[in-house]
Amino acid sequence: MQAVSLHPSRKPGENPWKALLLVLPMLLFAAGFVYYPFVKTIIQSFGLVNFRGELTGFAGLDNYRYLFSRREFFAALKNTLTLALCNVPITVVLTVGLAWLCREKRWISPLLETLFALPMAVSMSSVALIYRVLLNPTVGYLNYALGLSVGWLTDRNYALAAILMMTVWMGIAFNFLLFLSAFRGVPQDLLDSAALEGAGTWQVFWKIQLPLISPTLLYVVCTNMIQAMMTNGPVLILTQGGPARSTTTLIYLMYTSGYGSSNYSLAACVSVIAFLLTLVFTLLIFTTEKGRVNYQ
Amino acid sequence: MRTSPKRAGIRPGDIVALALAAVVLFPVFYGLCGAFKSPAEFAAWPPAVLPRSFGYTENFRRVFEQAPMMRYFANSLAVAMLSTSVRLLLAVLAAYAFVFYDFPGHKLLFFLMLGTMMLPADTLVITNYQTVTRMGLLDTYLGMSIVSFVGASQMFMLRQTFLTSPKAMREAALIDGCGDLHFIFSILVPAVYPLLLMLFLQSFLAQWNAYLWPLLVTNRVEMRTVQVGLTMLTTFESTNYETILAGVAIVMAPTALLFIVLRGFATRAMNDGPLLS
Repeated sequence: MQAVSLHPSRKPGENPWKALLLVLPMLLFAAGFVYYPFVKTIIQSFGLVNFRGELTGFAGLDNYRYLFSRREFFAALKNTLTLALCNVPITVVLTVGLAWLCREKRWISPLLETLFALPMAVSMSSVALIYRVLLNPTVGYLNYALGLSVGWLTDRNYALAAILMMTVWMGIAFNFLLFLSAFRGVPQDLLDSAALEGAGTWQVFWKIQLPLISPTLLYVVCTNMIQAMMTNGPVLILTQGGPARSTTTLIYLMYTSGYGSSNYSLAACVSVIAFLLTLVFTLLIFTTEKGRVNYQ
Repeated sequence: MRTSPKRAGIRPGDIVALALAAVVLFPVFYGLCGAFKSPAEFAAWPPAVLPRSFGYTENFRRVFEQAPMMRYFANSLAVAMLSTSVRLLLAVLAAYAFVFYDFPGHKLLFFLMLGTMMLPADTLVITNYQTVTRMGLLDTYLGMSIVSFVGASQMFMLRQTFLTSPKAMREAALIDGCGDLHFIFSILVPAVYPLLLMLFLQSFLAQWNAYLWPLLVTNRVEMRTVQVGLTMLTTFESTNYETILAGVAIVMAPTALLFIVLRGFATRAMNDGPLLS
C-alpha cells in the first residue's frame, strides 16, 4: 500500500482550492450525517433533551446514572455481548472450514461458490420472515426435523440462540467468499514443497495456510464483531426484544428509547456505550494481533 | 494452468461440501416452497417441506392485493439508485482530489473521511432521524438516501486504483486544455469501469436490503421500501404464513436472479487475488 502522503503529480502552479472544491461535497455529508450526529449524540447523553430533540439543559451524568439503574440496560448489554462473543468464533470456524473445503479450483468450484454465496442475495427481512415460519413450534419444520418441541422465539431460554442462528447464517456467504479468495492466494509452490517434505493436511493448514490467511481472518473478526454489536434487524422483526427482554440488544434499546419513547438522552447514552464498547473491542483485537498477523 | 487430471472426478470432500450447502440453503428452499402452500397445508401435521403443487398461486395474488408491492419496488429502486449514484459520484471526486492534488489539510481531510468508517451508522440513526425530521425530509426519497451519501470505503478503493493510473495520462490531458471534470468523466472513470461496477453492485445491494433507516423515516404506506413493506404484510400476531412467504419469494426473486446472472462477474472480481494481504 502506498503512503498516504504520496502526491504523484504535485504541480506548483495548480490551484489547491479546486481540490478542496472536489472534496467538499463528500466532506459536507460526512460532517452533516456522521460527525455532527456523533458529537450531538455525545452532547445529548450529558444533557436534558425534550421530546422534540431540543437540548434544554445540562444533566451531567444523570442520564447515565438512570440508564445504569435499569435492568433493561443490563439485559441488553448481556445479550449484545453474548451475541458478539458467540457470533465471531462460530462464523470464523464455519466459514474457514467451508472455504477450506472449496479451496481448490476445480470443475465443481463454480457450483459450490454459487451455492455458498447465494445467501448474500437474500435480504435480512426476508431471512427473518423465513425463520419466523421455520422456527414456529406448531407449523415450522425445524422442531419436527430435530424431534424437539422448543418455542424458539417465545421461550426466553432459546430466543437469543435463534437470533444468533440467524445472524450467523446471514454472514456465511460474504465471509466464505473472503476466506476462499484468501486460501486461493496462498502460493502453490509453498503447498507443493510442504507436500514434498511430507507435511500432512493438518500441518499444512496450521503452519502455512492459516498464517497466510491471517490478514483476512483479522478483517473478518473485526467486521463480524462490529456487526454483532450492532444487531437489531432480526430483533425488530421477530421478537421485539422479548420474551422477557431476553433478546433486547443495545441498538434495539436505543431504537425503542429514542424512536419509541422519544427519550433522546437515554437513547444517546445507549448509543455512546455501544460505540465505546465496539471501539474498545476493535482496539483489543488489534493489540492482540500485533505480530501474529502475517502480511506477505 | 491449474487444471490437471487429478482435479477431475468427485471426491469425498465434494460430497461433504454439497451436503453442507444443502443445509445452508435449506431455509431459502423451505421459504420458497412455503409460498406455494395453502393454509390447510400449513395447518397439517407433520409439516412438509414441499408444497402439494407449485401451481398454487393464490398466495401471490393475495400479496399484491394486500400491499402496493409494485410501489414498494419502485421506492426501493429509487432510493438504492439515488444513494448509490450520489455516493459513488462524491467518492470519485474526493478520491481524484486526494490523488492528484496537494492542498492544505490534505492529510487531515483524508483521515476525516476514513474516520467515518469507525462510527457505525446504526449508532447514529436516532440523531440523524432528528436531523432529517427537522429538514422536513420524512417520507421522501432524499431523506431515505441522504445518510448513505458518504462511502469512505468506496472512496478508499477508488483512491488505491487512481494511484496506479499513469500520471502522464493526466498531464497530457491537462496540457491539451482538458479540465478536471472532463478528465475525470471522459478518461478516468472509463478506465476504472470494472471497479466502479463492482462498487455500484455492492452499494446498491446494501441499500436495497437496508431496513432500520427506511423503517424510521417512512410513515406513509406508499413510501415504504420492499424490505419494510414486506415485514408489514401482516401484524405481529397474525399467522398467515403462506402470504408472508409469498411476499418473501416476490422480494427475493429479483436479487436472486441478478445474483445468479452476475455470479461469474462477482466471483471473478473476488478471485482476482486475495482481497486483503
